[in-house]
Amino acid sequence: MTANARKKRNVAALKHAVRSYPGFLWWGLGQATNGGLGFYVWMIVLTAIALVGANAWAHQVARGMIVTNMTDHVSWGLYIANFTFGVGLAAGGVMMVIPAYLYDDEDMHKVVIIGEAVAIAAIVMCTLSVLVDLGRPDRFWHLMPVIGRVNWPVSMLTWDVIVLNGYLVINLHIVGYLLYMRYLGRKPNPKWYVPFVFLSIIWAISIHTVTAFLYCGLGGRPFWNTALLAPRFLASAFVSGPAFIILVMRILRITTGFAAPPKPARTLIQIIRVAMTINLVMLASELFTLFYTGGAHGESAKYLFFGSHGHYGLVPWIWTAIACNLIGTGLFFMPDALERSNTRIAACILCIVGIWIEKGMGLIIPGFIPSTLHEIVEYTPSLTEWKVTAGIWAFGFLLLTVLLKLITTVFAAEAHKTEIA
Amino acid sequence: MTTDNSFPQEPHDGEHLKPLLPILDQPSTRRTLLKTAGAALGLAAFGEALSPLMVIPENVSVDEFLQQHYKELTDEDKKKVFARLEAETKERFGADVTITDSKPIPGVRFAYAINVSKCNGNGKCMEACNKENNHHRGVDQSYIRVLEMTKGSMDMENGSTTYDHTVPQDDKFYLPVQCQQCDNPPCVSACPIEATWKEDDGIVVVDYNWCIGCRYCEAACPYHARRFNWELPEIPPEEVNPNQGYLSNRIRPQGAMEKCHFCLHRTREGRAPACQEACPTGARVFGDLNDPDSAINYVLKNKRVFVLKEELGTKPSFFYFFD
Amino acid sequence: MDGSRHWISLVMMLAILAGVTATIQLRGASDAADGGSTLEALRGESSANEEKSSAVRSNSFVPPETFPVTIRKPAGPPRVATNLKDVHGEAVTVACSTCHSTRSPNLQNKTPQSLDEFHSGMKFSHGTVSCLSCHNAADYDSLQLADGHRVEFTDVMTLCGQCHGPQMKDFEHGAHGGLNGYWDLSRGPQQKNNCVDCHNPHTPQFPKMQPTFKPKDRFLEQSRSEH
Ligand code: SF4
Ligand code: SF4
Repeated sequence: MTANARKKRNVAALKHAVRSYPGFLWWGLGQATNGGLGFYVWMIVLTAIALVGANAWAHQVARGMIVTNMTDHVSWGLYIANFTFGVGLAAGGVMMVIPAYLYDDEDMHKVVIIGEAVAIAAIVMCTLSVLVDLGRPDRFWHLMPVIGRVNWPVSMLTWDVIVLNGYLVINLHIVGYLLYMRYLGRKPNPKWYVPFVFLSIIWAISIHTVTAFLYCGLGGRPFWNTALLAPRFLASAFVSGPAFIILVMRILRITTGFAAPPKPARTLIQIIRVAMTINLVMLASELFTLFYTGGAHGESAKYLFFGSHGHYGLVPWIWTAIACNLIGTGLFFMPDALERSNTRIAACILCIVGIWIEKGMGLIIPGFIPSTLHEIVEYTPSLTEWKVTAGIWAFGFLLLTVLLKLITTVFAAEAHKTEIA
Repeated sequence: MTTDNSFPQEPHDGEHLKPLLPILDQPSTRRTLLKTAGAALGLAAFGEALSPLMVIPENVSVDEFLQQHYKELTDEDKKKVFARLEAETKERFGADVTITDSKPIPGVRFAYAINVSKCNGNGKCMEACNKENNHHRGVDQSYIRVLEMTKGSMDMENGSTTYDHTVPQDDKFYLPVQCQQCDNPPCVSACPIEATWKEDDGIVVVDYNWCIGCRYCEAACPYHARRFNWELPEIPPEEVNPNQGYLSNRIRPQGAMEKCHFCLHRTREGRAPACQEACPTGARVFGDLNDPDSAINYVLKNKRVFVLKEELGTKPSFFYFFD
Repeated sequence: MDGSRHWISLVMMLAILAGVTATIQLRGASDAADGGSTLEALRGESSANEEKSSAVRSNSFVPPETFPVTIRKPAGPPRVATNLKDVHGEAVTVACSTCHSTRSPNLQNKTPQSLDEFHSGMKFSHGTVSCLSCHNAADYDSLQLADGHRVEFTDVMTLCGQCHGPQMKDFEHGAHGGLNGYWDLSRGPQQKNNCVDCHNPHTPQFPKMQPTFKPKDRFLEQSRSEH
């Protein structure tokens, strides 16, 4: 089949495809699961990991949370750590929307949808992370408004559940609408999406703020009980989100040839530079307060950074995070990072790893060590926890792949259409 | 948008002219077949991977699944629920038990005080709690933790719960900690689904059948008072305490949160809590805060009383005092 | 409208959700209807309770029915073992007065060290009081108060209370000595210890103990926590 014939057919497909939203979704699913050998290998590997995770979780539900290494002392572990990072990713995904709409950056508009896709996948991951952390997932319906009994507006966790789901719905709407319009070959009507984009910007900030409040609202945990937590979360989200999107764009370019213009990535790097600096400054002032004043409030930090009473479980983690963050930031400031270079990629990976540790093993876990009665009980995730977490990530990537596939397909088809016209 | 010639997906065969149902519209090429097969296989694999979940329908009856929050249960509902729980206890733990629903005594507000000068850290209260409240025998669970503290410091940093020598040691004092039944309980604010709440007599309770086990309350409690059922408790049938309360000492399900409830199945019937009866040093004083002549009010008025972590504003109903 | 179709599907999904919700709600509503009358019954019960407890507090003229507080008492004067058996094979014990009536009291004696015949291994650590501060020289089967009044062994608390006023006061207010039974005397009786149940009068300091029970938390399993 000649390239031209193929183009024609695609145009025809766009013109005459079923004109209903479910029909579009079905078509999209078909498109999104088409691909070359590499694509199928990738999907199968992800499915396999997701399967392992699902199985581990099912065993955990059957036998009880005893198969995790969490205790009454360290009652949250890898799952919630991962959840916290995921919320950051989800919020960060939409951060790039801000320059696009506030400054009407044309190029940015085109990659915004990738950010939204990342946000959707990340939110689904968050929801799964919370689900696997529940001791009684069979009672999940207690959390639903109306049929359950939600402790709103008092409980920060209720807030979190509400804002996360709201965020998911908003982003599904935006992505769905924009793609559908392109699929129909029409110009999206700003009335139907611009208000939602602004809403999602505010919402992105709120999901991460509320997630921070979840921790910093607990007076009994001095390590978390700091007003700086929410700003720190936001700053690091402005790093991990864009960094992740840069990585995604790079992968897309290599695998599908979907090449975004270079400008958005540069804007993102600028955002990261500022945000990461702010993040490090806030981290430093946090550490200053903790260590300079000392006392019992600094005990968790002492344990985290230097170990305490002969326990050193988290020391390697946090120094790895610090190293990753510092080197990553350094790399971001190199002129090279503004180009399509490996420096940029290395910087992104380092910062993502650094922030993942900083928000998880470096924030959630030490909040519990020492315990509220100042007993030191250490925590290392169990194999089950690693499996389940890997499964969740794999599922997130599956979802992201499908979404991106759909996006690139619609965009590419549209591009062909304009070419012919 | 930059374009690229390697158009990513395979072209569709067949026509897309009629807006029919898309499912019927899809051509049955080899690829579609393969995809369908793959999807079926994937679903089957997920089904298999999740098969351990089948214990849920085995262990959780439809009635249990649909059970409403304690506060929404009518007396009729409660009768049914308690009967079901009693039958389940018989089946799983081999013990005949009676589950009751003691209500707060109107006008009574409970408080507890511990004489730090007297407590010698022998831990009989922990043991009594374990027996009375049908705690998991495997881990010798108890709602009470006794800290051995170094004299000259109120910093729990210098405390230990694992001491194992004759008590009291000359340079130590002892601080038993259990739920402080806070008047401003952070655990209650934390719970996303009101599975834990404060009752009129001041006792903070948990509906073990409503709790989803998120453990946010455990993170919120500043006194390490909450315990999670990491697995199903095990108790030999002959050791099961048959006098059980729905909101207190009935055997807890796996995956739910629990905590000290001032033995409400006893105290709301006028009896002393088990830990108080068990204390050989007489360090424990329990009573009604609203009764000016109660033992607890005598202590509050006449002793040097303090509460733990007062600066957190939790307003405990649990006091410590020196002679 | 461009987005209307998209919106309609969204609304439809919501509608389905709402439908499910409503079904479950209906179930709950019928349950609630059943429970209406029982709620009334519940209220009745609690107001009955209210009357009872307010009676306890407000000195109203209907005196509340209260249950007694029983303080355990020593059985009587101690008996001393003799290592002899009677014809039935029972151990023979004798009253204090059996020996003490035959010898004259030593008012100065304060320690077992100064005793060479009897009680020499006894431990004594109770301030600077002498034996006859408490034991009654006139009748060794009883005790005596500081003012010389005789007091029976069963009423030992009167004796202790002479010096240990603060403890006695705490005891009377339920803040010393522990209790068994009911905190609420309108619902049941209470039992309390007396002084010598817990304190050996010769070495009154509370004895040292060995803790027998420790929660075996997961963290105490070293393998789990010390990776
Ligand atoms: S001590 Fe802890 S569990 Fe008890 S009421 Fe206070 S916060 Fe809640
Ligand atoms: S563990 Fe249970 S009681 Fe505690 S916050 Fe979660 S749902 Fe509420």
